[in-house]
Amino acid sequence: MSTSAQALAEAAQPIHPPPTSFWRQYVFSIDHKMIAKQFLWAGLLFLLVGGTLAMLIRWQWAYPYRPVPVIGQLFLRENGGVIGPATYQQIFTTHGLIMIFFAVTPVLIGCFGNFLIPLMIGARDMAFPKLNMYSFWTFLLSQLLVLASFLSDLGSAGAGWTTYPPLSTNVGTPGVGQTLVVAAIFVTGVSSTMGAINYVTTVIRMRAPGMGYMRLPLTMWGLWLTAILNALFVPVLGSAALLLLLDRNFGTQFFVAGASAVRGGGDPILFQHLFWIFGHPEVYILILPAWGILGDVIPFFARKPHHWYKGTVWSMVIVTVLSAMVYGHHMFMTGMSPLLGEGFMLFTLLISAPSMVVVLNWVLTLWRGSIRFDTPMLFALATVFVFGVGGLTGLFLADISMDLYLHDTMFVVGHFHFTMAAASFIAAMTGVYFWFPKIFGRKLDERLGKAHFWFTFVGITLVFGGQLLAGYAGQQRRLFDPFQYTFIHGLRGLNRWTSFFAFALFAGQFIFVWNFFRTLFGKAVRAGENPWQVTTLEWTATGSPPPFHNFDRIPEVVRGPHEFSNPEVRRLTGRDFAGQSEVLPGSAGPALAAARG
Amino acid sequence: MPGTNLRRDTLAETVPEVPNLHRYRLRRTEGEVTSYVGMIIFLGSWAMMFAALFFAYAVVRLRAPMWPPPDQPALPILVPGLNTVVIAASSGAVVLAVHAQALGRHRRASIWLGVAAGLGALFLGLQILVWVGVWRAGLLPSGGPYPSAFYALTAFHALHVLVGLAALGVLAIHARPPRGTTRSAVRLWGMFWHFVGAVWLALYVAVYLV
Amino acid sequence: MTAAPLPERGYGLPHDVSVDGFRVDELIHFTMAAITVIFVVVAAALIWSFVKHRRGPALYSHGTRGSIGLVVGAVALVLFGVDGNLFVHTLGDMHEYFWNFKRAEAAEGAVRIEINAHQWSWDARYPGADGRFGTPDDVITTDDIRVPVGAPVVVQLASTDVIHSMYLPNLRVKQDAVPGTITRLTFQAKVPGEYEIACAQHCGPNHYKMRAVLTVLAPDAFRNWLADAAEDARRAYDPEDKEAHWGWEWRRFEP
Repeated sequence: MSTSAQALAEAAQPIHPPPTSFWRQYVFSIDHKMIAKQFLWAGLLFLLVGGTLAMLIRWQWAYPYRPVPVIGQLFLRENGGVIGPATYQQIFTTHGLIMIFFAVTPVLIGCFGNFLIPLMIGARDMAFPKLNMYSFWTFLLSQLLVLASFLSDLGSAGAGWTTYPPLSTNVGTPGVGQTLVVAAIFVTGVSSTMGAINYVTTVIRMRAPGMGYMRLPLTMWGLWLTAILNALFVPVLGSAALLLLLDRNFGTQFFVAGASAVRGGGDPILFQHLFWIFGHPEVYILILPAWGILGDVIPFFARKPHHWYKGTVWSMVIVTVLSAMVYGHHMFMTGMSPLLGEGFMLFTLLISAPSMVVVLNWVLTLWRGSIRFDTPMLFALATVFVFGVGGLTGLFLADISMDLYLHDTMFVVGHFHFTMAAASFIAAMTGVYFWFPKIFGRKLDERLGKAHFWFTFVGITLVFGGQLLAGYAGQQRRLFDPFQYTFIHGLRGLNRWTSFFAFALFAGQFIFVWNFFRTLFGKAVRAGENPWQVTTLEWTATGSPPPFHNFDRIPEVVRGPHEFSNPEVRRLTGRDFAGQSEVLPGSAGPALAAARG
Repeated sequence: MPGTNLRRDTLAETVPEVPNLHRYRLRRTEGEVTSYVGMIIFLGSWAMMFAALFFAYAVVRLRAPMWPPPDQPALPILVPGLNTVVIAASSGAVVLAVHAQALGRHRRASIWLGVAAGLGALFLGLQILVWVGVWRAGLLPSGGPYPSAFYALTAFHALHVLVGLAALGVLAIHARPPRGTTRSAVRLWGMFWHFVGAVWLALYVAVYLV
Repeated sequence: MTAAPLPERGYGLPHDVSVDGFRVDELIHFTMAAITVIFVVVAAALIWSFVKHRRGPALYSHGTRGSIGLVVGAVALVLFGVDGNLFVHTLGDMHEYFWNFKRAEAAEGAVRIEINAHQWSWDARYPGADGRFGTPDDVITTDDIRVPVGAPVVVQLASTDVIHSMYLPNLRVKQDAVPGTITRLTFQAKVPGEYEIACAQHCGPNHYKMRAVLTVLAPDAFRNWLADAAEDARRAYDPEDKEAHWGWEWRRFEP
C-alpha cells in the first residue's frame, strides 16, 4: 500500500523502458549511472596522465639533467631524453591542472555525484538527464583540448596551474598551447556548471517522500554543497579565463602591465582576485565530497550513528559560506593593503573551526564503535589522518607573519597535497572500493585492496611529508633545478628520497589498476544487494547494479541514514542496522505516521 | 530547450464543455517547478559570471588615473539609451507572451514572442551601429584597459542577446496553433530574456552613463 | 669578487641574520608545538579506538550533551588559544615591524634601494650622494645587493615583465614584484656576511636561476663601497642609454 506522497513521486517519475541500441546504452546515454561510469573512466585515465607528470617532476629533482627512462625516448627525443627548463614548466603546470580539473573532479564529483545522488535520495534519475549527458561530452571536449595543447610547437601551458598574468599572457607565454589550455579550463567550467545545476536541483526537488534534509546521507550534503559552490564560483573562473583569452587573442589589456602596457595597462592582480575567488572555493569543492563520504563510511564500518550529525551538517554549511571570504590568503605577498590582508587572515583562521568540528565528530563516531577494518574503512581512516595533517599545516599559512617566510615554498605544496591530493584522492579511493559492488555488481579483491592501501597511505605520508620538510627549510616551489641555490644544497638527499617514495607510491597504484580490471573483466564474485550491510537507499532498496529505473517502487523514508546498533532494532529484526526506508515490524509505517503528523 | 514537450497543459482542451475554461490556469506541475528551480540556479551562475566581469571593470577603472582616458573617443549615450528602451519593450512583450501562453492563447503567445525576438534583433542592430561608430572613431580593443572593458562587456552581453533572441524566435515558431508549445518553455526562456535585460541595464549605467 | 653564501645544514629553518626574523621563528615554533599536541592527542584517541573498539557491540548514541560539549569546547580552546594567539601576535608583527615602512624610512641611517626584478635577474639602484633616484650618481648593480649591518633597509620593488617575488630566506621576508605597481619590503640585517636572494614566484623557464646575493657589510665598508661605486657611475653615465634609466622618483606612500 502506498501513501499519497509516494504516489505523487511515482507519477512525477514514471518508469521508462531502458534503451536498446548500443549507442544509446553506452555512448550517448542519459542514464546517470552510465554517465557516472563515463566520468570514472575519463577521470582515472587522466589520473594516470597527471601521475606520470608528477613522476617526471620527481625524476628531475632526484636526478637533475639525466635522461628520463622510457618517457625520455618517447617524448623528449629532441633534448636527448632530458627535461629542459621550458619543458619542466609545462610539466608542473599540466600536472596541477590535470589533477584538479581532469582527474579528481570527474571522479569525486562527476562519477560519485552522478551515480549516488539519485540513488541515495530515492529518485529514478537526475532532474535534467539530457543536460547530464551534455555535461559529460563537454567535459570530454575539454580533456581533448588539453591533449591538443601538447601537440603545439611551443608546447603546452607553462605558467603554473594558477596561470598568473603577465606570464600567462601571450607576452609571457606565447603559443597556442597556453591558449588551448585556458580554453580547456573555460570548457570544463561549462561542464561543471551544467552538472552543478543538475545536482542542486535534483537534491532540492527529487528527494523521496520522507527524505528530509536532516535525513540525507552526509555524502549527499557534501555533494550538494559542492554543487552549490560550483554553480556560484566556477563562472568567476570562467570570467578570468575569458578575459585572459581576450588578452591573448584580441589585444585587450585586462592583465597586461609593465613594458607591454598601453595607456597604463591592466592589473595582473585583478586576475589573482578573480582566480582565487574561484580558487579557494575550489579547494572546498574538492574536499566537501570527501568529508561527505567519510561522514557515511565511518558510521557504516564503526556500526554506530554519526556523532552529532547536525553539527557536521552545519559545519559543512558554514565552510561553504565562508569559503569565498578567505581567498586573499593566497595573495598576502602581492602588496595588498594591510587591513584587507588582516581581514582575510581573520576569516582564514575562523574557517578552521568548522573543519575541526568535522574531524572531531569522526573521532567521536569511532569512539566506542565496533570497528571493521575492510578496505574502504582503511582508506577512510587514512583520509582522517592526512586531512588532519593537511589542515593543521594550513595554520602556518593562514598567518601573514609566517607566510612571509613560507609563501611559495614547498611547505605550501606539502600543505595542499596533504589536503587536496591526499585527502580527496584517498577519499575517492574510499568511495571506489565502497561503491564498486553497487556500480559494477562485483566486489574488488580485499587482499589486493589492503596492499594498495598500505602503499598509498605510507607513500603519500612520506612523499608529502618530505615536501613539508623541504619547504620548512625554505626551498621554493616550481624550481627546475633547486640546487642552483646554496641554501638548498643540504636538501639533495631529502629531495632524492622523496622521489624514491613517490616512485613507489606510483608503482603501488598499479595494484589497484590490476584489481580494477581483473574484477571487472575476469572471473569475480557477484556482489549481493547489500554486501556491506548498511542503511542508505542505494544499498537497501535496489540491486547491484541497480536496474535502469533504479527503484521498482520509489522508497518512502522513515529514518535517518545511520541507524546502527539500536537495541530496539536488534530486538525487532536481529540485525544491527535498519534501512532508511525499512518499516520495522510492529511500527506504524509511513502512511499512518504521516497521518499522525 | 528546457521544458519542451508535447503535453497539453491547459484545461481548455480537456474539458471543452465548461465555458471560458481557458481563462483559468492549471496549477504548476512537479516538472515545471523543477525546471524553474534549475533555471534560477542557471541564472545565478550566469549572474556570478557577469558580476565577475563587472568586478573586473570596476578594478580596472579604479586603478586608472583618469576615466575615460583623455585621448580616447567618447562613448555615445543616445543610441545605447534607445537600446535600453528597446530591450525593456521586448521584456514587456515577453511578459505578455507568458501571460497569453498560460491562458492557452497560442496565436497571441506566438505573436508576442515574435515581437520580442524582433526587438532583440533591433537591439543587436543598434549595438552593431554603436560598435562601428566607435571603431571608426579610433576606439580599438588594443588601445588599453578602457576599450578593453567596453568591448568585452558589450560583446559578451550581445552574445547573450543573440542566444536569447534565437531561442525566442524558435519558440515563436513552435508556439503557433494548433500545437503550441509548453507554458514552461515560454516562461523559462522569458526568465532568461529578463535576465539579459537586467544585465543590460547595469551595463548601460556602469559603462555609458557614469 | 665572487660571493659565496654559506650552505645551510639542510633541515630546519635557515639561520636568521635579521633583527626581526625571530618573531617569525617564534610563531613557527609555537604553532609547531600546538599542532603537535593536537595531533598527538587526536591520534592517541584514534589508536586507542582502533585497538579497543573492535569486538563487541557499538554504543548506540547520536551524541550526548557531554560529547557535543567536548567537541565545542575543544574547538573553542584551539580557536582562542592557538588561532587567537597567532592573530594577535601577527597583527603586532606586521604593524610594528615587517610592514612598518614609515618607521624604517624615518630611522637614522636608513638605506633606500629601488629594485627592478626582470627575467631573470635583479637590478638594484642606489640614490648616491644627492639622495635622489634617477640622477647620474645612482649606483646600479645586477644580482648584487649590498647593505650596511644594523641599518634599516627599505626596498621599492618593481617589474617590467612578469610577476617576480624577492625572497630573503635568511631574513625571513618576501614580497612580490608586480608589473604596473610598486611594492615595498623592509629588513634590517644584524650579522655581516653573504646571503642569498631568491625569486619566489614562477616567472618563466629560468625562474630557477634568478638568484642574487645580499652582502651585509660593516658600515664603513658600505660607505666606502657606495662612494667608489657612485664615482664610477658618474663617470660611466651615458645620457643616451634609455634602458639604463629604469629608476623612478622614490614613491611616497604615506602622506
